[in-house]
Amino acid sequence: DEILRSLAGPPSPPGQDPHGWRVPVDCVRANELCAAEPSCSSRYRTLRQCLAGRDRNTMLANKECQAALEVLQESPLYDCRCKRGMKKELQCLQIYWSIHLGLTEGEEFYEASPYEPVTSRLSDIFRLASIFSGMDPTTNSKSNHCLDAAKACNLNDNCKRLRSGYISTCSKEISATEHCSRRKCHKALRQFFDRVPSEYTYRLLFCSCKDQACAERRRQTIVPSCSYEDKEKPNCLDLRNTCRTDHLCRSRLADFHANCQASFQSLTSCPGDNYQACLGSYAGLIGFDMTPNYVDASTTSITISPWCSCKGSGNMEEECEKFLRDFTENPCLRNAIQAFGNGTDVNLSPKNPSPPVTLLPKTEKSPALPDDINDSNTMYDTSVITTCTSVQEHGSKLNKSKEQSLCYSETQLTTDIMPDQKTFVDQKAGGSRHWAGRILPVVPILLLKLAL
Amino acid sequence: SRRKRARARHKPCALKELEVSVSELGLGYESDETVLFRYCSGTCEAAVRSYDLSLKSMRSRRKIKKEKVRARPCCRPLAYDDDVSFLDAYNRYYTVNELSAKECGCV
Repeated sequence: DEILRSLAGPPSPPGQDPHGWRVPVDCVRANELCAAEPSCSSRYRTLRQCLAGRDRNTMLANKECQAALEVLQESPLYDCRCKRGMKKELQCLQIYWSIHLGLTEGEEFYEASPYEPVTSRLSDIFRLASIFSGMDPTTNSKSNHCLDAAKACNLNDNCKRLRSGYISTCSKEISATEHCSRRKCHKALRQFFDRVPSEYTYRLLFCSCKDQACAERRRQTIVPSCSYEDKEKPNCLDLRNTCRTDHLCRSRLADFHANCQASFQSLTSCPGDNYQACLGSYAGLIGFDMTPNYVDASTTSITISPWCSCKGSGNMEEECEKFLRDFTENPCLRNAIQAFGNGTDVNLSPKNPSPPVTLLPKTEKSPALPDDINDSNTMYDTSVITTCTSVQEHGSKLNKSKEQSLCYSETQLTTDIMPDQKTFVDQKAGGSRHWAGRILPVVPILLLKLAL
Repeated sequence: SRRKRARARHKPCALKELEVSVSELGLGYESDETVLFRYCSGTCEAAVRSYDLSLKSMRSRRKIKKEKVRARPCCRPLAYDDDVSFLDAYNRYYTVNELSAKECGCV
């Protein structure tokens, strides 16, 4: 009905939805529209010739190239987008980058994602996942969720076939020297994550674990000995450059940065509080040079990383660490994984009529924001935000340890399926008091925002 | 219920399925992973061919004595399912082919 509203809404210009955002056309379609228009198609041809084998600066030094780029910024090609797993995805991305490589200031840390924003929420998957758990009467507190996920996949013909497809490809020995064909393994993994519905793939990838056997199974999901580990660990910035030479890898990485970038504007640390979008773009990186994975089989802390390190960064050390931290110390990604494992999602527009303001913690009048609250870097560096799996279970353990913890009450994070799951913010020992003191006053303000 | 059992035994040859753990397959793998095991079961009375009748006749006339022959059609897989992969208790992956039936027939 958004289309209807945009048609009905008189003030919004064509191609805009009622919120004022332009509805993106896919680039393959935009290319067709451009091809039908002689002035657009000739400029586009010129631009492609300009970009072929040249960097941005030499291209822009040419007046003809510059003019072509300016004209194309007015065309539908300028803000076209692509869809994950769409027909002609690669062609779509090639069209996207042919324009955007000319527009960006060369090597940027974060690039805009060529993919359409994800609007669905985790709850949509939970609803399906609950159907599976319903068919399994043996589910109890002792059960291994990663084993249950494998079972659900094995009982579905499509999931079983594609899972077995990548497992056999990734564990097939080529020769005494070549342990496996990484290229074929990555391709089979991409097929699995592209063609199997996420209610199966996310369950395998983000299952929650209470023991090491489970966590090891979770780590093994992508057959890391072939798809992830390598003889040497490259430098992360070198790996990023390799990834950026490939349109697909570049796009998936940009999408990961767009959807999983830690944000301190939101309660969940995720952009727009959208866990689903973050998990989707994480899964979208599997099968490329930037394939991420769990670094170990720890059950208490989840650490994700691509296969790279910041050794040998030279004077780029800081940039390298910043890049790596988006995987290893990313509160958005961590919260999203844990929320999926626990079956919780943030529901910002609750369907029940009672407003979620009723159970706000009894704090004094919300104090003013501390000056440095927008200084996200300091918060980023010193804090690790995780989701509370179950207060009853971890409560005693946390009280004994030096860790400071704080749990939001359930109505603040309106949960979909398991209403007794709660979320808390905890952090590792160092400097916790200082940090907790700063974040506490902010919480009610964020919650008030949500309530409005 | 005896009648019911008798009828069940006389169901025609068809594909059936069981959810079993990999360890239960008896192939020597140790894994708690559950797989779908599809097998062929049922009778083949309707599929008796002239071949079977004649073979039976030869045997009763003692024209065939020492050889092992089968004068009845058998409910067996006509095609097998795709490969099945699983992770075992020692975190090694295995792929098993032709584990499950895909299509059954009286052969």
